[in-house]
Amino acid sequence: MLFNSGIFIEFFAAFLLLYWLLRNNLRARNILIVIASYLFYGWWDYRFLALLIFSSVLDYFVGLGIARQTDPRRRKLWLACSVVANLTILGFFKYFDFFILSFAAVMKQLHIHVSPHTLGIILPVGISFYTFQAMSYTIDVYRNEMPPTRNPINFLAYVSFFPQLVAGPIERASHLLPQFDRTLSITRPMLEEGIWLMIWGMFKKVFIADNLDPLVAMVYGSGSYSAPVVVLATVAFAFQIYCDFSGYSDIARGTARVLGFDIMFNFNLPYAAASIREFWRRWHISLSTWLRDYLYISLGGNRAGKARTYINIWITMVLGGLWHGAAWNFVLWGMWHAIGLIINRALGEKVRASFLSWLATICFVLYGWLLFRARSLDEIIAMSRSFTNFSAPAWINSYLLNLTVFTLSLAIVEFWQFKSRNLLVPLTIRPWTRAALQGMLLVGIILYWERNPAPFIYFQF
Amino acid sequence: MAMHLGAILDVLPSPRPALDVDRTILIQKAEASRSRSDAQILLMGDSSCLIDVDAGRLTDEIKRPALNLGTLSYLGLESHAALLRNYFGANPGRVQTVVLLMHPEALRLTSAGEYHTKLLMHFLRGEDFVVRNYVSSALGDDAFRSRVLARTLPIPLGGPYGRHYGFNADLEAFLRAHRGSLVDPDSREFRGNPEYRLAPQFQKTSLIFRAGIPSNVKLLFAITPMPATYAPPDYLTTRQQMLTQWQEWLAPATVLNLPATLPDHLFVKTTHLSEEGARQYTKELGAALRLIDAAH
Repeated sequence: MLFNSGIFIEFFAAFLLLYWLLRNNLRARNILIVIASYLFYGWWDYRFLALLIFSSVLDYFVGLGIARQTDPRRRKLWLACSVVANLTILGFFKYFDFFILSFAAVMKQLHIHVSPHTLGIILPVGISFYTFQAMSYTIDVYRNEMPPTRNPINFLAYVSFFPQLVAGPIERASHLLPQFDRTLSITRPMLEEGIWLMIWGMFKKVFIADNLDPLVAMVYGSGSYSAPVVVLATVAFAFQIYCDFSGYSDIARGTARVLGFDIMFNFNLPYAAASIREFWRRWHISLSTWLRDYLYISLGGNRAGKARTYINIWITMVLGGLWHGAAWNFVLWGMWHAIGLIINRALGEKVRASFLSWLATICFVLYGWLLFRARSLDEIIAMSRSFTNFSAPAWINSYLLNLTVFTLSLAIVEFWQFKSRNLLVPLTIRPWTRAALQGMLLVGIILYWERNPAPFIYFQF
Repeated sequence: MAMHLGAILDVLPSPRPALDVDRTILIQKAEASRSRSDAQILLMGDSSCLIDVDAGRLTDEIKRPALNLGTLSYLGLESHAALLRNYFGANPGRVQTVVLLMHPEALRLTSAGEYHTKLLMHFLRGEDFVVRNYVSSALGDDAFRSRVLARTLPIPLGGPYGRHYGFNADLEAFLRAHRGSLVDPDSREFRGNPEYRLAPQFQKTSLIFRAGIPSNVKLLFAITPMPATYAPPDYLTTRQQMLTQWQEWLAPATVLNLPATLPDHLFVKTTHLSEEGARQYTKELGAALRLIDAAH
């Protein structure tokens, strides 16, 4: 089920009514959340619910198993059970065909003929998100950072919580799980925040991201490139992917807020970053902190000298790139950012935040988006070569006009948030002014609302 | 609400819903049908007419100005007749020949597409065409899109058309510069059901179409080509039967001697020729027109 669909509005209205009726019965409320979450997920393809349930049940029992053991080896064995099972499921559904085809391509280069047999596997929506969320629980229990839950309903609700199930934020058990033990307390500020985030997130998706999509598609894959066109299309894609993904995260957070839950902010004005390190503190925060805490630190982090630190950064970012999708351009994107982070670390404090460092960062990030959006190595090469060709097509002004019209509102709001250092600054203005602002955003959403909504980009990851 | 009010009070400009490839083509053709033109030869028909014939090249070929008013296969002959009436109203006494060209896949359609037909008719009447009967329509979404948005902001075209032409305004500019003809930038495998017949609805609509042509204007017609390997073995016989039947319905009308099939490499899909294919076909059409002129 998509947030930007009519069926979600009907679903959420019905859910809210039942949720309100069950507000005083914690167990019934959590059962309702689980059922609604499974309905939300199964709406897309009910067969893949089995995977979600399997992952949840496995990690629930692994959590209990780890806690029962005092022998470190046995604890590790339980953890390995969870990690191997989750990564096997993820690897099979997401990467099986990719690795088979890549292997065949390598063999072909070596003049060895192989007939690759792919399985044409459908990628279950949200699998990368919920497996990471479930794994974070078992790892935290293993590290004694939290006790295991003994309430299976709460755990099922934690893994499947529908606002953030299919595209994050990837929540931590220590933050979200205890909230299923609390009775409902929804305050007016929470409601106001939830409504603002839902409207703003929906606006970013429906008005900005979906209108930038044809602009991006007009250039990427066209085979006809020049510097002005590639730069504009990449800027358009940078806004598109940001508004698409952060829009989803805002709606997720807003929906959760309306239900009395608190889930993390996933984005914090990433294009204001003045270094790549800062960019990763502001972009897809739940994934970058997950990779830092569970992968980078597990590899040794920065505790074993410079060379080892750089290798750890490299491994983390390459795997982070691969997490996004089974394609080599995502690996390249991960490598590109690894280079940026390594340079950043090597320079240390020598580079201070300035307009120039911001400009260098944004150019670096933009080229990364080119690697991310391109569909083949040939396309990357052709687009990169075009940077010496300054000819512009006749429609360049129309392109620029569209880009400006659809990103202006974002620029204004984000500049306001940046200046005030407060992502929720719109909540600080007078209620009537805010109502007028929200009304204008709603008009934008309604005018561009599609009966057949465009899916969120991150659903494919 | 303001949009509805603006439309009712006639404060807003009239609707011009050139919001995607199909609608841009329809609007451009509808406007061309109401504009003054030097054309002596008018090309009418479905998208195969729009794409398979380069009207600019035809003009050079036969040394008489031609205009391509070909649109889409979703529009029936009744809609083409409406465009024709408009054109003769705006340009009385200029046109000498109407050439009707349709692809066999369009000729088997049992009815015209309701959406495109209504869109064209509403546009010709200067009315909003409300397609979406939900909240956004009630709030004046259609009026906003067709009266304000389409007139103020260039709309990017989707898919291969977007990559080839850019925006709706660029597509319109191309159509104007090429006397109404278009190049299909999309290419698809030759797929479908190669079974052809003339749908009975064409009897009635052919009469309506014929009635829209003044008696001093010649009507010539043909069935546009399909890829040689895609055509079924009995296609030539079937095509001849279709032409004979259609000629009866369009009478008085002359069949143009044009190829039934062309080599596969000249097509981008079963219904549309490539740029090179259109060049060759236009040449063939020019020769056929010259032959008819010579006979008269």
